Amino acid sequence: MSDRLSFHVQRDSFLHRLNPLTKLTLAFALVVVAFVLPFYWTPIFVLFAVIVPLSVSGKIFREFSWAALRLILPAVGFLFVMQALFQPIGEQVVFKFYFLDATTESVAYAFRNAARIFVMISAFTLFLLSTHPSELMSDLTRRGLPSQFSYVVISTLQIIPQMQAKANAIIAAQRSRGLDTESSFLKRAGALGPLVGPLVFGSLVEVEERAIAIEARGFTSKRAKTSLYEIADSKFESVLRWSLVALVVLSIGLNLWHS
Amino acid sequence: MFDKIKSNFNTQTWVLIPIAIAINIAIGQIVGLLKLPVFLDSIGTVLVAALCGPWAGALTGTLSNLIWGVTMDPNALPWWPVAFMIGYMAGRMAEWGFFKSWWKIVVTGFVIAITAAIVSTPISVYLYGGITSSGSSFITAYLMQTGTDMVAAVFSTNFLVEPVDKIITAMLAFSIILGLPKRIVGGYPKSEQAQVEGGNTQQQLYIAVGVIVVLILLAIFVISKITGG
Repeated sequence: MSDRLSFHVQRDSFLHRLNPLTKLTLAFALVVVAFVLPFYWTPIFVLFAVIVPLSVSGKIFREFSWAALRLILPAVGFLFVMQALFQPIGEQVVFKFYFLDATTESVAYAFRNAARIFVMISAFTLFLLSTHPSELMSDLTRRGLPSQFSYVVISTLQIIPQMQAKANAIIAAQRSRGLDTESSFLKRAGALGPLVGPLVFGSLVEVEERAIAIEARGFTSKRAKTSLYEIADSKFESVLRWSLVALVVLSIGLNLWHS
Repeated sequence: MFDKIKSNFNTQTWVLIPIAIAINIAIGQIVGLLKLPVFLDSIGTVLVAALCGPWAGALTGTLSNLIWGVTMDPNALPWWPVAFMIGYMAGRMAEWGFFKSWWKIVVTGFVIAITAAIVSTPISVYLYGGITSSGSSFITAYLMQTGTDMVAAVFSTNFLVEPVDKIITAMLAFSIILGLPKRIVGGYPKSEQAQVEGGNTQQQLYIAVGVIVVLILLAIFVISKITGG
């Protein structure tokens, strides 16, 4: 098990060298465009003309397609099937299953929705694959985000795997002394207490100690902190970010004007 | 305004938040492992909200949703406003004194559930067209097939599913606070909100059960109004 929870893959590429904020803006812009531009094929276009080429240029195409196939496709596929069957729109029935029917309209509707969700998830997957979480947080802190937020995000990412390991240990320990975690509903519900209790109380007792420890290291100090790493940012990227914002505004405007 | 928000946060709050987020996620996974028909993925959020205040609770909810989304299940991402409101509402209820005895906890859980149902309805309607990838969408789909309009169908599904989950969540958070030593609870900004009122706990639990029954009847009544009318 890795000591920190993150998708990040270290490569040397154009995409990895971009400033984290630029990549974040890009991900948000792609999502908004995919959702609001009033053309049917927009999400598919965004996916194949922007996201896939970016993943290739970022040298993370293999990881990206793995995530797309293993994580995104099943969820989106399920959504597609549900929507195609259950949306009560359209007349032309193409497929019938008991009281459920898929019409050409509902299939088209489901396809567009699924494509939008696919774009949303894959844009963020791309962002997470190419950006290290602490890089993002230190860049945001440098731009004025209170440093407590970085503490919360970074330490959460460290605590979760520890907590999961602890939870697994507790489950194994309670099972070994005979706790029933697999039979009837009441037995399983009753098992919740002995599993959750030790985990929660154990970690809450640590809080005070941690608080004293970080207090002693100047956590609440108001002074500007110096950073060990410099994160590159250029004039070009700032222009890029603002043009992405403009693109978002433009597509929202087009959506309003079109409808 | 800013002073109010700031009053939720001291160093202990900042340390508690990551742990609460991890508790949300770990308990969510244990519950999934036990195959119980609830989520219970906001116990940590309610805990922070009760001990530190609404804004700290809202922050915990939002961050835990975002972190859950970016590390495990990207499908969770668009639901962060729901988590925000769960934390905020739990904090407000605690501020109003509804975090002091068992029956009040039940009311708190119910209010949180209604808030969550209201906030998640538009997200589910506009983003997913009413049908999400969660299992309870079968109910929504069934209601939509029988001619209920989408918003009503989504809302009544949420209204059916949420209260049980959120009442149990609030009760578990309360029992965690009761179980912690006073010395540890005392360090948080709003710890006096979560102190138990005097009175017989046995009797308290009976009242709590009575309140649950009343709320269930109310819920059935409201849903039949929405879907029937």
